[in-house]
This record gives sequence, C-alpha cells and structure tokens, in this order.
Amino acid sequence: MRLHAALVLAATLVAPAAAIFEDDAYHIDFHHALIGLPKRDATFFHKPYAASKASLIYTIHGNRTIGVVNPKDGALVWRQAPVSTQPGHGLLRAAEDQDTVVSAFGNHVAAWNAADGRIVWEARLIGATVEDLEILEQEDGITKNDAKDAIVLLSDQGVKRFDGKTGRVKWTYQDNSGDTPFQISTSPTTIFYIALHTPMLGGSQLRVTSLSPITGKKLDSYTLSSESEIQNHEHILFAGANTAAPLLAWTDKSNKVLKVNIIGTKGISTFTTPAKEAIKKIILHAPNRVNSLAHFLVEYHTDSGHSAEVYHVDLKKNTVSKAYSLPELKGKGAFAVSPVDANVYFTRITTEEISVLSSASHGVLARWPIKAPSSLAGAYPVQANSEVIVKSGSVSSIRSAVLYSNGQWVSIRNGDVAWERPEFLSGAVSATWATLAEEESIAHELEVESHQNVVSAYIHRVQRHIKDLEHFPAWIQNLPTRVLGNLLGKSEESAIDEIHHDTFGFHKLAVVATEDGRLAALDVGAQGKVVWNIDLNELAPGATFSDSSLKAFRGYVEVMGNGLQGPLFINSTTGELLISDAIQTQPAIISKDQHLISFDLIDGELKGFLGAQATAEPVWTFTPPNGESIVRYTARPINDPVASIGKVLGDRKVLYKYLNPNLVLVTTVLQSARIVSFYLLDSASGQLLHAVSHDDVDASRPIPSTISENWFSYSLTIDSTSSASSRGYQLVIAELFESPLPDDRGPLGASSNASSVQPSAAHGDATKPYVMSQTYHIPEEISHMAVTQTKQGITSRELLVTLPSSNSIVGIPRMVIDPRRPVGRDPTALEASEGLAKYSPIIMFDPKWSLNHKYEVSGIKGVIATESGLESTSLVLAYGQDIFGTRVAPSFTFDMLGKGFNKLQMLLTVVALFVAVLFVAPLVRRKQINSLWTQ
Amino acid sequence: MRLSIITPALLASAVSAARFILHIPSTQLVNPSTLLSTTHATLQSSGAPINAYLTRSNSFSFSNIPAGSYLATIHCRDFAFEPLRIDVTIEELVEGSGEKKEVVKAWQTFLGNEWDNKGELKGEGGNGLVVEVKPVGAKYFYQERSGFSPLSFLKNPMILMALFSMVLIFGMPYLMDNMDDETKAEFEEMQKKSPLTGGSANPAQSLQNFDLAGWMAGKTDQGSTPRSESPAPGGKKK
Repeated sequence: MRLHAALVLAATLVAPAAAIFEDDAYHIDFHHALIGLPKRDATFFHKPYAASKASLIYTIHGNRTIGVVNPKDGALVWRQAPVSTQPGHGLLRAAEDQDTVVSAFGNHVAAWNAADGRIVWEARLIGATVEDLEILEQEDGITKNDAKDAIVLLSDQGVKRFDGKTGRVKWTYQDNSGDTPFQISTSPTTIFYIALHTPMLGGSQLRVTSLSPITGKKLDSYTLSSESEIQNHEHILFAGANTAAPLLAWTDKSNKVLKVNIIGTKGISTFTTPAKEAIKKIILHAPNRVNSLAHFLVEYHTDSGHSAEVYHVDLKKNTVSKAYSLPELKGKGAFAVSPVDANVYFTRITTEEISVLSSASHGVLARWPIKAPSSLAGAYPVQANSEVIVKSGSVSSIRSAVLYSNGQWVSIRNGDVAWERPEFLSGAVSATWATLAEEESIAHELEVESHQNVVSAYIHRVQRHIKDLEHFPAWIQNLPTRVLGNLLGKSEESAIDEIHHDTFGFHKLAVVATEDGRLAALDVGAQGKVVWNIDLNELAPGATFSDSSLKAFRGYVEVMGNGLQGPLFINSTTGELLISDAIQTQPAIISKDQHLISFDLIDGELKGFLGAQATAEPVWTFTPPNGESIVRYTARPINDPVASIGKVLGDRKVLYKYLNPNLVLVTTVLQSARIVSFYLLDSASGQLLHAVSHDDVDASRPIPSTISENWFSYSLTIDSTSSASSRGYQLVIAELFESPLPDDRGPLGASSNASSVQPSAAHGDATKPYVMSQTYHIPEEISHMAVTQTKQGITSRELLVTLPSSNSIVGIPRMVIDPRRPVGRDPTALEASEGLAKYSPIIMFDPKWSLNHKYEVSGIKGVIATESGLESTSLVLAYGQDIFGTRVAPSFTFDMLGKGFNKLQMLLTVVALFVAVLFVAPLVRRKQINSLWTQ
Repeated sequence: MRLSIITPALLASAVSAARFILHIPSTQLVNPSTLLSTTHATLQSSGAPINAYLTRSNSFSFSNIPAGSYLATIHCRDFAFEPLRIDVTIEELVEGSGEKKEVVKAWQTFLGNEWDNKGELKGEGGNGLVVEVKPVGAKYFYQERSGFSPLSFLKNPMILMALFSMVLIFGMPYLMDNMDDETKAEFEEMQKKSPLTGGSANPAQSLQNFDLAGWMAGKTDQGSTPRSESPAPGGKKK
C-alpha cells in the first residue's frame, strides 16, 4: 500500500513544471504582506521578551489580523488571523516583561508568543463577545514575574480572569444588573468594571464596580452622574488601562466640557475645552505603564487645526490639574505618548515636523523636520506611536510609526522616512487590469489608419513616424548606459521604475478597490509600486464599497457598487474622477446582422436580454431544475485567444475543439440533498449544452469554477456525513470537442462553412459539444480558480488555484490535468508522444508549481491574469488581504533571454573566435599555396 | 464492524467531545522549533475545517472535537506532512456498564484511495492522546538554472562522437606504426577487403562513388572504380 502511494507520488512529480528560478524569485514577483490599517488603542512598541534589546511594533486591524512588524525595515515578523464565529472588535494587549501578547476577537481569546506568533493558549467563549481585555500587571502592589493573568470583560457573561500560562478561567464575576458592559481597568489592588447604566429617560450614568483581583468578588460599586453628557459610547474618551492612576474621561455632545474622574474616587474634575473654534474630535493619551508619572495629554481637533493640553494627576490629593497647553497649529497632526522609565514624553507629529516634549514642562526637547516622500504628498498624520530614546537626560532619537490619512503606515526615524507599508491595500474586493492611455492612443491611431483610404492612411502614418522622432535624441542618449547595463546584467533593476521603457510589456497597471473605499493603481512590473491612490469615500460620501466591482475601459476604470448611486469613472493614468459626460463611451463593435445579448442573474434565474440593458422581456431564461439555486456563474473571458482550432494527436489526426465564445458555466446547489450541479449554457441562445451533477458534496464550502478556451474546471469538497468512499477535495476538468472522433467535425461536418466559433451561423440545431472529463483528488481545498492568459494563446495554459489553508497560489500545468489521460493502462507510444501520462486519481501539488514560493499570501479573494508583451509570459495579480503579483511562463520563456544567458561570455567567445581567425588565416593561406605548387 | 462503531458515535456526537494533540517530534529532517508560526493543522469532516495553531511545544492541540471521522492535514510552508485519519468515537469501556468514554484512534491514510483503506495505526487512546506526525520531506520551490559546466559539455553525445573520431584520426597512425609487421600486413589485407576503402588511391573519391547497390548485391570485383556500371542511386556522383 505504501509502495503504491509512493508510486503515485512519483508519477505525479515527474510532470514537467515551469518553476521559478531561484535568481528570479523576489525580482519578477512582489508581495505586500499586509495587516490592515492599525487600530489606535491596540498598536504599541513592545519587547518580545524581557531580555530583548529591540522592540517590535504590535498591532491589530479591525476584526481580522494581528500583525507584528520589525520597526527597522517594516518587514512582517509574524501575523495571525484567528477565526471568530461572532463579530466583534479586535483587542490586543501586552504586559511589561512578558513574552506573550493577548488578543481577543469576537468570542476568541488567545495568548501568542510575542517573538514568533505561536499560540500559547486559546479560549472560545460560547455565546458571548469580548468587550474589553486587560492584563493584570500587579497584584497587591507586587509585580508578578510569572505569566500575568488576563482579565476579560464579556458582553453577557460578566468578567473572567484567565490564567496567563494555561488560559484556565480562575474566576468569573457575573453581572446581573442589565447594564451595558463598557470597559475594565486595573489598579495595583483592584479591578474596576465600568458599565453604562441607562435609565428610561436621558443619558447614561457610569457605574463603576470594584472587584477583588484574587477572588473576583464585588468590593464596592458606585455611579458617577454623567447623564447630562454621555448619550452613547462615543462620548467616553478614555477609560484608563494599566496606569498608576486609572482615569475615566468623557465629554458632552458638543465637545465643550471635559470631565475627568480618577477611578476609585467619586470626585469629577471639570475642564472647559479651548473655545476658539468648534472642536470636532478629542483624543486622550495617557501612558499605560504602572510606574509612569500620572500625566496625560488631551488632543483637540478643529476643522482648521489642532492643539493639546497636558494634565497632571496628583495621586495623594486625588486631584487633576492642567499643567500646560500646546499652541494651536494650522493643519492636521497627531500625538503619541511614550513612557521612558517613570518619565512620560509626548511626540507631536505634523506634516512638517516632529517634536518631542516632556510631560513635566512645555519646553520642546527635540525637533526634526520631516522629509516626506512623494507618496505622502497631500496626506497628514492621523495616529502615531513613538519610541523615544533618552540618553543622559536629553532626547537622542525618536522612532515613530505614523498612520497617514492616505493609508500609508510610515516609520519616521529622526525626521527620515525609514519605511512605508501600504496598509490601505489590505482587504481588496475587486481588481482589474487597466490599460495606459498612451498605449491606447497608439492603438487608437492604428485604428484610425485602418479605417482610412490607403493614401490618407499612408500620410497619417508618415506624420506619426515623424512625430515619434522627437523621442529619438533622448533614446540615443540613453543607449550607451542601457547597453552597458545590459552587459553587466543589471538592466532589470535599473529599468524597473521606467514604465515608459516597457519593452516586454511587463509594466501593467492593476487597479484595486478595497472594502474601505480606497482605489489604487499598482505597477505590477515595478514590484507593485503604488502609482496613485484615492479615497472613493470623498467622491461618493456615505456609500459603502464592500461589494464594489471594477471594469476597465480605454483610459478609464468604472467603479460599480450596490452602495453607489451610479458608476464612478476614474482616469486610469492619474486617478482623477472623470465626469461621465466627458467620456466617449465606445459602443461595442457589432455588424448589422448581429445582435448584442447580455445576461444577468435576476431573482435566482439567469436571464438573457437583447441589448446591453436588462429589460422586462428576456430572450431566454435559465431556471435550474428541482429547486436548485444558482450560486455562481462563470463566462468565458471576452479576450481569450486560441491559437489552434484543433488538437493534433500522436498519429497526426486532429480532434476539433468546441470553441463557442458564449459559454457560461452555471453552478447550482441543492443544499438539503448535498447535490451540486453544473450547467453549461450558450449565452446567445440560452440553450443547455451540457449538464453534470455531483452527489455527496459539502455545499457549504467554496465551489470555485473557471472556463477558458474549450475546457472548464471546478473543485468540490466531499461531504463525509454520507458514507462516501473517499475523503477530501476533488478537482474536475472537462474538455469540449466537436466530436469524439478525430478528423471529424461532428454535426458541423455536413456544412462546408460552419464553425463552433460562430454557433449562430450554424444551420439547424445548435451543435452540442462532446465532453470529456476526469476527476482528481487534490490534497487541499481550492477557494478560487483562474487561468493564465497570453497574447496569442500559443503558450500552454496553467490553471491558477488559490489554496487558502497553505496560503499559496499554485499553477497546475494544463497537461497534467488533461482529461485524455489514459485510465487503467499505460499510454501507447502515440499518446506518450502527445505528453499524456497514465491517469492517477490524485494530483499532489508539486512545490515547484507554487507561484508564491516562500511568500505566504493570505486571505486571497481573487486572482486575475493578463497578457504581457511577450507571448510566453502572463502577468498574474492576486488580491485580498495581501497583494501578490508575479509573471508566469507556463512553457518557459522561449522568447526572452533568461538570466542564465551570460552576455559577457558570449562577447568574449566572439572576440576569441575573431582572434583565432586572425591567427589561422595565414596558416591556411600558406597551405593553399603549397597545395597549388605541389599539384 | 466499522459501521457499527461509527453509527453510535454519530448519535452520541452531541453528548461528548474529545481532545487530543498532534505532536511534531524532532527528526533529522526538521527541527520543529524552527517551524513558522503559520504552520497549522486542520481536521476536515463536514463543513468548515477545525483549525489548530502550532504551540510553543511544537504541537497542535484540538479540543472539543465531536465524534466523527476526520482527515487531519498539517499545512506548513517548508515541509510536507503525511495526512492522517482520526476517528473520535464514544464507546462503553465495559459492556453494559453505561459508562461512556471518548476513544481517539489515528491511522495513516492515503489520498486518492478509499477512506477505509487505512495504513499504520499511529495512536489509540482516550482523551489527551498524543499522536506523532512526521514530515515526509522538505518542499523545494525553485528550479535549478542549468548553467555552463564543462562536465555537462562533455556529456553531450555530439561532443563525445567528435572526440572519438579525433582519437581515431590522431591515434590510428600511431597505432599502425607500433604494430609488428605481421599484424600490419593482416590489417592492410583487411582494409583492402573493406568496401569503403576499395583499394582506391583517393579514399574520399571512392567514398563518393561507392556503389551501395553493388556492394549489397555481394559484388566483389576490385581495382577499377565501378563508375559506369550501375545507375543505382547510391552510386551517383553528387
């Protein structure tokens, strides 16, 4: 048995694969390993273990990912995305000198090893969501050196204390008052549980319950009269975490009063906010260390500028007093608080400069101007975290992780930008390939020429060439450097930014839309450089973009979405909004005797309409039988070039491909019976061409499918609840031919001038394809499928499958999944010459097929592929949480010299041969003369 | 037998749940402490797979696993692991006692084979069972670029043929010189008989005018060149 398995493995591994060369990896591909926009109160610098010299930046995004970034170079250290069955916001806490960080998402609480992200313990709380999470720094005023325990506030189940080592629940305090749990806060001796008590009328009161950390028993409870100010959660500015003096601060609706309470006391200090202008936002920054000074900073934002005030807390007298205020500055800025030993430093970051202040006095300790790169033009700091290094009393350097308003997360070290992470790209929902306007203008001019008469077309052409001459001097100037660079083998790197110097057509713009409403264009040929980046929320306020879809047209991109009033048109070169009147929409090229038929999924039925718009009277309707529901449909890509209309067999006979351009593959599901069916339709006539049904399928899992050329493919998960004979995941491939017999055109054979390419022109009944299919077992679940695309379709294709569980994208060579592989016997000599191997029921994914090699691409929603300037190469972009782009050459790069080609060696060989000729020539001449004399 | 175990297990699935640990031992192939934290294990049966992260002690801990038959897979960037079949059942330890306990059994399994086709038993026990999972190999993603190497150059059959003929051309006269007279005469006799040399003064010319058809027909006349004799295609002057 084992031998059999080994043989199967060996048989599948010998299949040829165009893998990535080691020296090409990391050059031809790029990967943005993203976290998402960092959350304000859960982003911090932290040492991964007590003795560590350097700290890492820990952050969490919304409800998805915990990410750890090296502050030196911005590289991702580790990342985890725990799955929560319940929605909720993400929380992340770390305690001093601990080698773990504790996270909470929805109903999932987990502790992770801070250095490498391995799990320490996890707990799933059934039927509750986590509202707040704190780590108990001290117990009875003594710092514990062991694993510190976590205190968790749950929505319905009160407060729980988790053991820091094992995750065991030590005690639970059940709150039966019916108040809304808000937050917890710890002091060295007490745990405070803060809830919002909302009476029938008016605002909310804050109720503070103090609990014993050891037993979890209630010690005391009191309410603070805050009903005049607090209407909902947002009016509470701060509920201090692990500060020496836990604070509770809130404001009223109009941001006019600031009220501060030291938790544990009943006194409320009231301050008025600066009254010059209406304050839009107040943010409170306080240090989160137990031994820091009890100083805090309140940040005020108005429409035109920002200012701040620093307050001191007197712990002995339990009073809060204002220490000093920072001057108001025009423009936007952000503040950060960094405790160093017991001292507290505040960092102010504006678009121009970074300045550091001590909490004790208002003097600026250090100041650096920010040298912002072009990617931050027009953006302003939104939130910041800083690490201040103090040497002998003065600030020697500062490192800040700043989130800018355009979504770039930037590290600024003493005013210099150390790295940038394009976190706004995370969570892409749609992507498309945009064509550059320049490229299009040439295409347009060529089109003009083809429509004119010969003479004027010729004149137009000559004019165009003369116009092109203006680039000639620059080109000739660059030539020596380019040739030299080529010889020394560094051409690729130097030309990487040059989108204009795109000889091979690798520089394509991919436009990506994210769920947060960002639209960005990436240059796939230049390591995914962001060319432009705009916020759609500004263009269409109030809209949601979680389901937006993109469509590329000549020179512009159309953004559609359910949350949008109408489509938005964005210039694909600059990212500017175009007014829809200004766009000359190109009508689809249809000749007179043809009609355009569009189709759409409406009310669970697939309907075809005459014309581009959905009308009341469909031309055809496809309703799945037996109460099945349509889950998705896949159409053949509009631009899908096919090089050959037939498949040449080993004996030189031809199997004709069924090349209908209107193929649509519809996936339907009958959940109750665990049946999944696939229907192949002709979208012009609505006719059913082929149907296949599978039993015992787990319909709750993704069922991806794709269609290209004359074949389609889909993947299924076998449901185990029935007595299925095998387990795991299946990949099905089906190929369509005109006839099962070679050299035969099936029903088309009778007519002399018919083709499956134009099925409407065929006489009589629409021809149905002959379908050949094979099923393979695959080791992993597939979440998305795509097919590579090349310019002429000569290069063989690869099926690009996304494997979510191993965070990879695999390109399965088309030859491996050929449905003509002989079953149960070895291939004959003729079949072997076609490259067909014996059918084996399993396809192991060869690591060499993996496009992403050592990168780990997580959360991929979709993969798009397009042609490059070279026939051999297809460009691939994967989007989702991460962005990954690469080039694929399924039949190797036959039209390009690889890096293995040594140009210097070739030149030397030519020179050596020339020298040899110089030497040998006299010898030969002498010999010839001698032979003449001797004859 | 198999069905009789699974059926009560399915019925009891709501009652009880098992926990067990998959552990990666330290082997020659891999030091499990160096594995990335993205390494995780999944249990697939029906619906979403159950996921477990790698712990600091190089193991995957599954808890609250309802009774059933699961396909356990370990996903790792750098190493491939063998798949396992794990059955969780609720059994009465002593017949009729009514006391039920979870039993976890783990076998090697083979993808693409029948589910009942089990391999080696990897572990069997109650709650808290530790099953060892071993990596089967490292994953290698990259293709070697075939650079220029003298050895591969020499392995080329064309080069080998050229070298062989070089040896013949340069080595033959030397060999002939070293032969004693008797063998030399014998060798020359042999050469005369050979159809290729044909006794002609100019070997190249005789090669060009070689009468293939005649030779094949067993013609033995020598001396004069058979120029005018045969219109056979092989004998035509080009």
